[in-house]
Amino acid sequence: MALSRDAYRALEDIVGPGYISEDPAVMDSYAYQWLAETVRPNQSKFMPRPEAALLPGSTKEVQAIVRTCNKYKIKVKPYSTGWYFYGAPLTEGVIQLDMRRMDRILEIDEKNMFAVIEPYAIAGVLQAEVMKRGLNCTVTGAGASCSTLVGATCYHGSGGTSIYTGELRENLLGAEWVMPNGEILRTGSIGSGCGWFCAEGPGPSMRGIVRGALGARGGLGVYTKCAVKLSPWPGPVEFPVEGTAPAYRSPLPGNFRAYTLAFKDWDSLFEAYYRLYDNEIGYYAHRQWTMLGADLGPAFWMLYQDPTKSLDDIEEFVQKQEVKEFTEEMRRSFQLVLVGMSQRDIEYQDKVLERILEETGGWKVKKWLEPEMEQFALLYLLRLGKKNLNFVYTGGWVGNFMQVGTPDFVKKYRPLAEDATREYQEKGLLVDCGSDSMMGCVGSISGGGNCGLEQFGFYDVADKVSTAAAVEWMKHCIQEEAMHNIPPGKEGMYLAVGKTHEELQQDLAKQPATHTWQRKIKQALDPNDLGDRMYPTLDER
Amino acid sequence: MEMIGKQKIIKEHKILDSYSHDNSFTLPMQPRLVVQPRNADDVQKIVTWANRTKTPLVPVSSGEPHFHGDTVPSVPEAVIIDLRRMDKIIRIDRRNRMVLIEPGVTYAQLQPALAEEGLRLSTPLLPRQSKSVIASLLEREPTLVPKYNHTLLEPLRCLEIVWGNGEILRTGDAGGYYPTLEQQWEMGLAQVFSGGPGQVDYYRLVSGAQGSIGIVTWASVKCEVLPKVHRFFFIPADNLKGLVECAYRLLKVRLGDEFLVLNSASLAAILSRDADGIQALKNKLPPWVIIMGIAGRDLFPEEKVDFQEKDTRDIVHQFGLELLPAVSGIGGGQVMSTILNPSPVTYWKLTYKGACQDIFFMSTLDKISEFVNTVFAAANALRYPVSDIGIYLQPQHQGTACHCEFNLPYNSGNKIESDHVRELLDTCSEALIEQGAYFSRPYGIWADMVYNRDAGNKEMIKTIKGIFDPNNILNPGKLCF
Amino acid sequence: MALEDYRDDCTNCSRCSYCKWIPFDHIKSARFARACPSMEYCNFQAYSLGGRLSVGLSLLEGRIGYNDELKDIVWKCQMGGACDVSDKICRYNIEGLEVMREMRFKLVEDGQTLPQHKPYIDNLHKEENMMMEPGVNRGKWADGLDVKNLAEEKAAVVFHAGCRYSYAEGLQKTARMAVMMLRDAGVDIGIMGENESCCGGRVYQWGYRKELNGCARKNTRVWADAGVKTVVTPCAECYYTFKRLYPEIGFTFEVIHVVEYINRLIKEGKIKLTRSVPLTVTYHDPCHLGRLGEPYVPWQGTREKIYGQIPVWKPSKPRYNGAWGVYDAPRNVLKSIPGLALVEMERIREYAWCCGAGGGVLEAYPDFAAWTAAERLAEAKATGAEAIVSACPWCERNFADTVKSQDEKIEVYDIIDLVQMAL
Repeated sequence: MALSRDAYRALEDIVGPGYISEDPAVMDSYAYQWLAETVRPNQSKFMPRPEAALLPGSTKEVQAIVRTCNKYKIKVKPYSTGWYFYGAPLTEGVIQLDMRRMDRILEIDEKNMFAVIEPYAIAGVLQAEVMKRGLNCTVTGAGASCSTLVGATCYHGSGGTSIYTGELRENLLGAEWVMPNGEILRTGSIGSGCGWFCAEGPGPSMRGIVRGALGARGGLGVYTKCAVKLSPWPGPVEFPVEGTAPAYRSPLPGNFRAYTLAFKDWDSLFEAYYRLYDNEIGYYAHRQWTMLGADLGPAFWMLYQDPTKSLDDIEEFVQKQEVKEFTEEMRRSFQLVLVGMSQRDIEYQDKVLERILEETGGWKVKKWLEPEMEQFALLYLLRLGKKNLNFVYTGGWVGNFMQVGTPDFVKKYRPLAEDATREYQEKGLLVDCGSDSMMGCVGSISGGGNCGLEQFGFYDVADKVSTAAAVEWMKHCIQEEAMHNIPPGKEGMYLAVGKTHEELQQDLAKQPATHTWQRKIKQALDPNDLGDRMYPTLDER
Repeated sequence: MEMIGKQKIIKEHKILDSYSHDNSFTLPMQPRLVVQPRNADDVQKIVTWANRTKTPLVPVSSGEPHFHGDTVPSVPEAVIIDLRRMDKIIRIDRRNRMVLIEPGVTYAQLQPALAEEGLRLSTPLLPRQSKSVIASLLEREPTLVPKYNHTLLEPLRCLEIVWGNGEILRTGDAGGYYPTLEQQWEMGLAQVFSGGPGQVDYYRLVSGAQGSIGIVTWASVKCEVLPKVHRFFFIPADNLKGLVECAYRLLKVRLGDEFLVLNSASLAAILSRDADGIQALKNKLPPWVIIMGIAGRDLFPEEKVDFQEKDTRDIVHQFGLELLPAVSGIGGGQVMSTILNPSPVTYWKLTYKGACQDIFFMSTLDKISEFVNTVFAAANALRYPVSDIGIYLQPQHQGTACHCEFNLPYNSGNKIESDHVRELLDTCSEALIEQGAYFSRPYGIWADMVYNRDAGNKEMIKTIKGIFDPNNILNPGKLCF
Repeated sequence: MALEDYRDDCTNCSRCSYCKWIPFDHIKSARFARACPSMEYCNFQAYSLGGRLSVGLSLLEGRIGYNDELKDIVWKCQMGGACDVSDKICRYNIEGLEVMREMRFKLVEDGQTLPQHKPYIDNLHKEENMMMEPGVNRGKWADGLDVKNLAEEKAAVVFHAGCRYSYAEGLQKTARMAVMMLRDAGVDIGIMGENESCCGGRVYQWGYRKELNGCARKNTRVWADAGVKTVVTPCAECYYTFKRLYPEIGFTFEVIHVVEYINRLIKEGKIKLTRSVPLTVTYHDPCHLGRLGEPYVPWQGTREKIYGQIPVWKPSKPRYNGAWGVYDAPRNVLKSIPGLALVEMERIREYAWCCGAGGGVLEAYPDFAAWTAAERLAEAKATGAEAIVSACPWCERNFADTVKSQDEKIEVYDIIDLVQMAL
């Protein structure tokens, strides 16, 4: 179903001929997505091909596009960096807005600690710019490559530093939103023309329509600008980078520490979470290294440090006595970066940490205390520029569980995540890297109090059997969760992409109020149904 | 009325009269009656009945005195839904530092209960004895500890809301998979996460709404660890600009806990018990002062306070200022015990002249001096004594924003004075808005000034209210329409 | 190899966009954070490495056919390999640059060539150079030079000037200086004169696979006849071709870039830099000397899976991720020049921004080549440098032409020129 020539010309008039395409090869580059293979027929890597792709350059153009789409009743799906299938068209007949031309950092207000950004300002770039002013931004778990505006307005917005720098949902200040009806809403102080510093109001905070727990993921209009709150960065104006590709590392000054903290059992680990919250130490707190599996991950991290080695050499590393000891030492661990705002501060934080470790029987993993390993950890964790090592084993990865809650809650589903995975690893359907391949925030929101664990499963995306097993594993996890009275995790959201309308409606009916209110909001703001079910709604009965 | 069952209904003229006006210049309007529900079920029944009978409802959670006109009906025949009987502290969870409360719970009631568990809440500046915690948080009143103000709504987290159409929704992680609180508690959950459920932050929609979109029947609130060591300091200054630069530096590195800026009139009003005392103290105090509390809460509390004091002093010195344990004979301890508690029974703003009008808005610290000049110029023009104007600056959202408040005490019995203040309020508000002051909580006369400049939000608020309160039952007329 | 052999590489792309940026760890500003000229110039997803992998998969699956847009996607790229470096920060199992090259091979083999390239290919076949010049004039750059002609004499080292130095008038003197500098330092060096042929590397990267073989055979035969053990070249593209491509098809000599040789001779005290050159310069890493200039490592292996699903090669496959390119030698040379100050751009070494001249772009899309160069010149100027220095004639010429056409205010130098000034 190609666009009518009238519609195409109308869209072309808005962006100009250089910024619109409907060529099949170009369209397939938009349709190609990570995780498509888990929901599409024949495990295709391609989501439905968009009818056209447009590259708007301004809010005005976005608004004109959305108005044209209303006129011609064309569905429209925006994305910023376009990582994974939520950003793609979910059906035929959709045009894709690629926001990459709107990439500016419009303002950095150093004193008041916020930045005003466009959709394609990625976290790594924003961080580099704000570091020059002694500030830092939250780099979400999606990493340095992803849009900060998107984390703030449309998706999950937590990262390893959220315990200190906040979740992007908390950091969102003023926002500019082209609603599906073609109107522009500026929420917070910017709507009153008073600057971008305040998120809420005037009066009832219409910012509440923006994001919620999860975000509309491109399903309800286009966010074109927003301001995000920044946090202090008492470090150098840029990362000093040393080391040979790919294991770059950064020797940071004496007020920075990176630790891998390990514990004799899970209860002690989660107890440490609580102790960190109450004592308010830590700039970054996240379970990161174990994402590659408690059995195999440590070998990989050692291998990665050696630029003469490749993944092909991992078996050799696993056999090393040093690696075996390292693996056992960090089996139940997480990463903590301490950053002192002053020398006194870092000394105090170190002392508090020592006491917490005494109380909980924890220890600092020795290997990670070596200067080069610590420098590697600091750069990795603070910039999160190697986040996609998630894909390093096979090119295919899916993260299940990650139900966020108190440590006491997360502790309850942690064994289930392992039990539900073990069989798939032992059969060799997923990478057999250890049944604990869980990562996640120690404090997913500012000040902590909430955390989560995401169980990674690595499947060979080029292998049909393995890919099918990953889908089975996701379904199995949902079943196990249901049996143990645990809500479905991220796997439920992934699989929802592939569900029929009726199947999805059954799921949504389990939380009828939420999805009915969302329907009413959508009906008011998207009368021509331009958005897709990334903003899920329960049908009217 | 039979539908609202056995709820307490008050029709006494004297009591109705007390709900018909407040300390603002809002026009008085007598309500039809007052109903006092005991629980969410009662509230839902009232709202359902009100929808059926098209009866306006005005939710009230705090006791008198009221100041913003938000509890005074805007339309005739309104029913006051007074939530003060819903005053249960449902659960204190020390481990997760959460407390679940009903709307009638006041700061005066809650703080001692929390203290027993080793917790406390960051409060607004000397809330009145009768102030509802939930009302304060829902109306986004600023709290004293900017570093804990992770968003402007902090420490508010999850809510139970009865919407204008009578339906109930629980928000945040309280509105997730587990339908009852008991099930959530059993699973170790503690209503910590405020977002959602789903793609909407419902709790923001009811914030700043003056009860016009939904009625909150309980809320979870994040607590702080009760300090073991807590000291207060002063950074006095003759001019605001230099002090602001110093404040920025301290806020940037999140030093200190309580952090506010007061002028001499404001600090004197807080510390004195009578008008003469205020007058005398005001003349003694420095024109401006940062008040900073430094708390040691858990491990090594002494050492924490100690190093933060030293770090603060180092920074303060760079600005040619001083960090002092006392100023003009007022010790940090005295300020601490005053501002960490609710106001004395006579609300502190009323001590000086019996009445007080406030102008408050949000901005950033660097712009405050201009606003002060504007207010002072307007006051001079109207012969209002500038030296009486109390000024309170409360950095919020970890220093990104600042609540700026001018207190204008006056004698309400004196019509000329009262008229002057009314005029001052009017002209100042217009001038400040023109100048870029953000009236994020536009009560009373501010509503039209603010919403007429922001057609987008005005329309969206109408849309949202139309969805959640389709019959316009809840506090109609408070929001510009 | 054929595109089909890279199906897994295409399928493996996680669509993460790392290929569009320099390694995130190195980002210092918004202005100079991008890695891929093609993506920045063309904007649509298809013009990134990730996009091209998906287009490759689409071709393999028969979802798309040939058209002009597809050719544009395939050829509007300098093949500089910055994307490949960034991609390999997190991945060991995608050879993105090889896939892009394979797509070109496939299109050429299927007759889907770019018309703009045709005259150059024809000229190469006929005249054995990339400069649209008669082959007989190839040796003229060295007329009158007192150096061994290896058509008649023997030497251990051959100086291969390459097409650009041989024919471009402004660059010929640089080649002359280089060869004399080495001779004067006692190197047993000679030139091939008219018998020198194009290395074949440029067209290989345009998708003309067979031509490389012919060039390699011709060059290596005359070298062998002259007793040559070591090939020295001032051209980064020739260097890459000899160092990486020739051994891959069975021709192995020691290959050294002039700048490496000069660096060695300075260290040994055989070249002494005494005169002050009071200039602030910045150094541009040519793609083919830097990230693509890693030495070829012989390898043969087979694929198997370990730990259930990790596909690996047995024995371990050599990894080309830019780690072992020639980066320090030119910097050492510059630092040896008295009075000269070296300031670095933000994008350097394995994550340097391309000059714009490679991959057939200069010949087919001159505007794109100039735009790419202008981006680099802007970055050079941002350092405060008075001059940009490189070690590749293609880079230098593209910079110089862009400086001229866009009225830029920065000098362009070959590193050999600066060394000469310091002698």
